[in-house]
Amino acid sequence: MDLIHPGSKEEVCEALRAASERGTRVSIVGGRTHADKGDPCEVDLEISTSGLDRVIAYDPAEMLAVVEGGMPMGHLRRILAEGGQEWPVDASDDATVGGTIATAPSSHRRLRMGPLRDTVVEIVLVTGDGRLVRSGARTVKSVAGYDVHRLATGSLGTLGAIVQAAIKVRPLPDARRVVRTSEGGMLAGRRILDAVPLPSSVVATPERIEIALEGWPEEIDEQTAAIKDATGVVEVLESGSVRGSEAIAGTTVVEVAVPPSKLEVVLDEEPSWLALMGVGIAWVGLPDPGERLTALRGRVAEAGGIAPVIRGPGGLGDAPVPALEVHRRLKAAFDPAGILAPGRFWGGL
Amino acid sequence: MQDLHAARRELEEALGADAVLSDPLALRLYARDASMVEGSAGLVVFPLSTDDVVACVRAAAAHHLSVVPRGSGTGLTGASTPIGDALVVVTSKMNRILEIRTEDRLAWVEPGLFNLDLGTALRGTGFTYMPDPSSQQVSSIGGNVATNAGGPHCLAYGVTSAHVLALDLVLSDGTVTRVGSEGPEAAGYDLRGVVVGSEGTLGLVTAACVRLTPEPPAIRTMLMGFAKVEDCAATVSAIIAGGVVPAALEMMDQGIVRAVEAFTHAGYPTDAAAVLLVEVDGIASGVAAEAREVEEAARGHEVGSIRVAASPEERALLWKGRKSAFGAIAQIAPHYHLHDCVVPRTKLVEILTGVYAICRREGITVTNVFHAGDGNLHPLLSFDRSEPGVLERVLRSSEEIVRLCVDAGGSLSGEHGIGLEKRDFMPLVFTDDDLAAQACVRSAFDPSGRMNPQKVLPDGARCGDFAVAAAGTDTTGIGDAAGIGTTIPEGTWI
Repeated sequence: MDLIHPGSKEEVCEALRAASERGTRVSIVGGRTHADKGDPCEVDLEISTSGLDRVIAYDPAEMLAVVEGGMPMGHLRRILAEGGQEWPVDASDDATVGGTIATAPSSHRRLRMGPLRDTVVEIVLVTGDGRLVRSGARTVKSVAGYDVHRLATGSLGTLGAIVQAAIKVRPLPDARRVVRTSEGGMLAGRRILDAVPLPSSVVATPERIEIALEGWPEEIDEQTAAIKDATGVVEVLESGSVRGSEAIAGTTVVEVAVPPSKLEVVLDEEPSWLALMGVGIAWVGLPDPGERLTALRGRVAEAGGIAPVIRGPGGLGDAPVPALEVHRRLKAAFDPAGILAPGRFWGGL
Repeated sequence: MQDLHAARRELEEALGADAVLSDPLALRLYARDASMVEGSAGLVVFPLSTDDVVACVRAAAAHHLSVVPRGSGTGLTGASTPIGDALVVVTSKMNRILEIRTEDRLAWVEPGLFNLDLGTALRGTGFTYMPDPSSQQVSSIGGNVATNAGGPHCLAYGVTSAHVLALDLVLSDGTVTRVGSEGPEAAGYDLRGVVVGSEGTLGLVTAACVRLTPEPPAIRTMLMGFAKVEDCAATVSAIIAGGVVPAALEMMDQGIVRAVEAFTHAGYPTDAAAVLLVEVDGIASGVAAEAREVEEAARGHEVGSIRVAASPEERALLWKGRKSAFGAIAQIAPHYHLHDCVVPRTKLVEILTGVYAICRREGITVTNVFHAGDGNLHPLLSFDRSEPGVLERVLRSSEEIVRLCVDAGGSLSGEHGIGLEKRDFMPLVFTDDDLAAQACVRSAFDPSGRMNPQKVLPDGARCGDFAVAAAGTDTTGIGDAAGIGTTIPEGTWI
């Protein structure tokens, strides 16, 4: 398979225009850190965004950063930290900003920080046929026209290549702390969630609950006291982070997304999981993508949710896609030749 | 061709005679929203259910009417102004709260429900619905969804889009679908994200699943007076630069403060050139720390007075001052035109100075009350329509203000939308390709072009060499299918 590294947005446009004309199937690749998400698909060419790694604009006073799609997350983190800020997203340093937006992973801090999709305010997208399309605005809020950037976020590269994005960033907290309890399970998790004001995350596992706290030092002391009141023995870690999906063992890790109160019944028979309390996301580890995955997806479907695999084999699953006709028309408009990772997305798109 | 008579008969049969209005007074009343543009309504219907809405959309299709969704009619851009004898579908009788599920942090509501009524119903649950547009006493959740409404507290909590999980939507062909999910993620593209803010052009929302947020345990509200507008704006920047994101950060200039004070007697400092209303919320000890930082920032910029609300009643009074601004300005002149540009917040002073200069030159009274933390300006141009030539001067000033904001790297609208009033400004911020892509999004939802035509996108914005056409779908372009040529004038400026 061929791999090319365009050095500019225009070169990405040219490459995709040519691919569309020839019917060359293309995958847009960033750091390949989230490549397992999506149904299997065959392509003839990979277009890497590694040549698009510039900072276009960053002024901490605006709490916005505009960077090119190939910017590695590690690089972005360093730049933002110099401005005393962060983009509250969990992706490894090798991931790219564009790839992270295209795969839209859930952060363990989603309870407090919200989903990634609400931090992306502008995207420059190269469509499958090589048109450069900008959507949104470089302001913290904007209602001007149709938000194409909303469609691109989480689209797994099937509508275009994200070559630039403006993201909302936030001040780094004065203090951070992780508190770990000795008691695990969903019930304990719910008790902590109800007892502690405004935690960044309450992550439950069968063995323990981990709570991420951040803010002013006196604030996290107040939260810690509330945790101690609600549960028995706790371990306080002044550094380090809550364990996320990377901590789950198994060849296949599934990201369950259901209404928060349904997590309990969905996870009932599973031995290995990590649940984001109050959010409705759980990462479940499975030894193989076979019957266990089918059974899990069955329970998730009953709960009105979805269960795509984010690590290992297993794909997105067969949850019904509402308004499939609308999806098909969108795909046909943004990728008329159908060359962008055909079949990778929901609904066979 | 368009057959109003037959459409009326069909709708009366489906929804009952009481649900359909066609008398001249009703048609006149529903020919406009709160903007300055008047159109013409063909029929006005009041559905009670999703089935009723489907019947409306089907009747419109059968008799070649375009469909204009409308909530409370408080929109400021003409997005619910009907053009070409459209069918106006008013959701105000679909105003029930269907379900509150705090364990899932969500509520299902009908689109006609007033924003504030949801807040009232949530009292005592420990949860709240965060978006709080100034119109919240009368504006509907459906309308808030259509404009992706903001409000003072969106600085920390995000605009409506961040608070909508799912929408039940009737498409222009009568299909009922759900975009988004009760859970945190849905299968497929984020159609929910596109529908929010689409100004009723993609479909009719018949139910909204909104996200509930835990009420902050502690709140502190501060009112600060400054002798100089520059110092007030610099304080805004200093607060943000200091790493504090308050729940709300609202600025008002002297003109608006005086009008508000005469109206609400909230004790606003009328001698100050500008006033800053700051609210911080969260955990008690954190709130105290943030308030300290905010006060320090203000003292670093020559703040004249700082008043901290000592009770919930005093807090409510301070907010009443802010939220009554648009009522209070009736004292200045009987009519107003309200802007909604967003600019980088570091350029607030520069833009404000420019706005004052433009209005001085045109002889228009301007006051400013706005979401400073978001960089979302709301210059209020006050005038008396009976004065000859004044409308031309207002519109000229408006255009200059828009250009000023766009040149500074801003957006056309922060929370009111584009509608009819600003659609011709869209090429100032978007290229032909950008607009064509947006037209594609619209056509993907509504190939018929019947859903609220002529709004948002300017004439000529087409899906171009749209691939759907190749796939055999009718994409004759926005606004054509209902027999409404794109050359028809877009309503009358009143």
